[in-house]
Amino acid sequence: MSSPEPTERPVYQPKIIGFLCNWCSYAGADLAGTSRIQYSPNIRVVRVRCSGRVSIELVLKTFHEGADGILVLGCHIGDCHYIDGNHRTSKRIPMLRQLLDYAGIEPERLRLEWVSAAEGDRFARIVNEFTEEIRRLGPIKQVMVT
Amino acid sequence: MEYRNVSSVCTYCGVGCGLFLEVLDGQVTGTYPDPSHPVSEGHLCVKGWNAAGFVHHADRLKTPLIRKGDALVEATWDDALDVTAKALTRIRDASGPDALGFLCSAKATNEANYLFQKLARAIIGTNNVDHCARL
Amino acid sequence: MDHDSLLQALRKAVQELMPQVDGVIALRRVGQGVAAHLYQAGDDLSDLTLEPSFPLPTSVRLIQARYPDKTFGVVVRGCDERQLIELAKRRQINLDRLRLIGVACSAQDAEFCQCDLPFPQQLSIGEQVEGVPQDFLDEFLAKPRQERLEFWKHAFSKCLKCYGCRNICPECFCKECVLEESLWVKSGTVPPPFPMFHLIRAMHTVGKCISCGECERTCPADIPLTVLYKLLRRDVERTFGYHAGANPDEAPLMDSTIFLADMDLLRPS
Repeated sequence: MSSPEPTERPVYQPKIIGFLCNWCSYAGADLAGTSRIQYSPNIRVVRVRCSGRVSIELVLKTFHEGADGILVLGCHIGDCHYIDGNHRTSKRIPMLRQLLDYAGIEPERLRLEWVSAAEGDRFARIVNEFTEEIRRLGPIKQVMVT
Repeated sequence: MEYRNVSSVCTYCGVGCGLFLEVLDGQVTGTYPDPSHPVSEGHLCVKGWNAAGFVHHADRLKTPLIRKGDALVEATWDDALDVTAKALTRIRDASGPDALGFLCSAKATNEANYLFQKLARAIIGTNNVDHCARL
Repeated sequence: MDHDSLLQALRKAVQELMPQVDGVIALRRVGQGVAAHLYQAGDDLSDLTLEPSFPLPTSVRLIQARYPDKTFGVVVRGCDERQLIELAKRRQINLDRLRLIGVACSAQDAEFCQCDLPFPQQLSIGEQVEGVPQDFLDEFLAKPRQERLEFWKHAFSKCLKCYGCRNICPECFCKECVLEESLWVKSGTVPPPFPMFHLIRAMHTVGKCISCGECERTCPADIPLTVLYKLLRRDVERTFGYHAGANPDEAPLMDSTIFLADMDLLRPS
């Protein structure tokens, strides 16, 4: 009888939360789906009306609850359904990344991108890249006190 | 029109942190810590920060209240003390001194707390003396 | 100018302003300390003083809210002026109904507060002194990331959740504060679970904080809050070119449609 195959260590599956704005990025994600473009299944999508609605409390709480990575996707500047909602996001998320860095948490765990309703392939590419980056960084529990 | 800050001491516990009571047109509106106070050095705990909350509160007691049936009725100090003394005596006589518990207060002076535990131990006859912090 | 001469000049300026206003808000000697006071015509000004303490703009806001139609003089240090300007941008005070008497802080007072800008733009009394160099910020940044995390976890583990940092901040005026929402900050536990409370508060200072340092001085647990808040303030200045309290006509940073053209500027190194 041959010796059993060494059992493979299970691959770490990061938990990614995506806050996608209703008008652009969520539609873009939908397009990726209908176009049958493959992307990492680790992302759990939360649809918001606007990326500007994603408050700092929401992001911090999401990390606190165990999200290994947070992706905030909104409309391109100038395309926001609410005119300037994404202007707020464009300042808020970079400042929050800075704060994470100062607090000793990898700022790469939080990412902001603009994805339009037509950019299904771009959505998939961003999700795949981000998932692999978070996989490399490891679980947030290493970092956070629960 | 009048705005001023009055130097005072927090009433909530035995530390006695220094603070300012902020007064606007005769109403206490808030507290600020006092960095010059030798004990508190400009710090306050959450109670100290909210120490002025009771001053003008609608629920603040202005007279003693005695329970009559379901209602709490305004009374004089003499009546309230009479009722209390009679009740404490009755309970002690019926169920013994250890049926009574005495909880003293950080807001009271050392002297008042001393007399209070004397009342418990020497007059009522129980050692059941504790402190409001245990509530 | 020595401190006594400065106080003399200040009291004189207040005396001269008094007939033109309904009162002057300034710091007053109260017991061994100082606190804000509303001086009115005829009041003795000999206890009017100046020290690096007390969040004066909060008193201004309270008084103006009660008397919106009156005009007040205000003795302002650099921090007070900048805070009043930021409050005005958020419609919490009305600059048009204030007459500011700007006073410079001494080098000693600047050192006490670790202040990098110890004088107001509208300076009438006293001489400008140099701000205190903020080397400790770069010293902190020299720590590797894991060490920074341990530093803050340790510092925040001492927090009593007294809300002193928020209460004393003149820029914190929200009637319903997010830090009191149990959805975000778990109630009934001390210290508040990391990173909630402290990182939320830090983000809320962005674009508003001018580093008066009152938060850190009042913290009973000696948490070095200004290290974090000053790092963020420096980023705001370097990245967005926004200086809190500099220009009353400039829209508040985080709540406005100024767009950061090049987001790559904030990619961490």
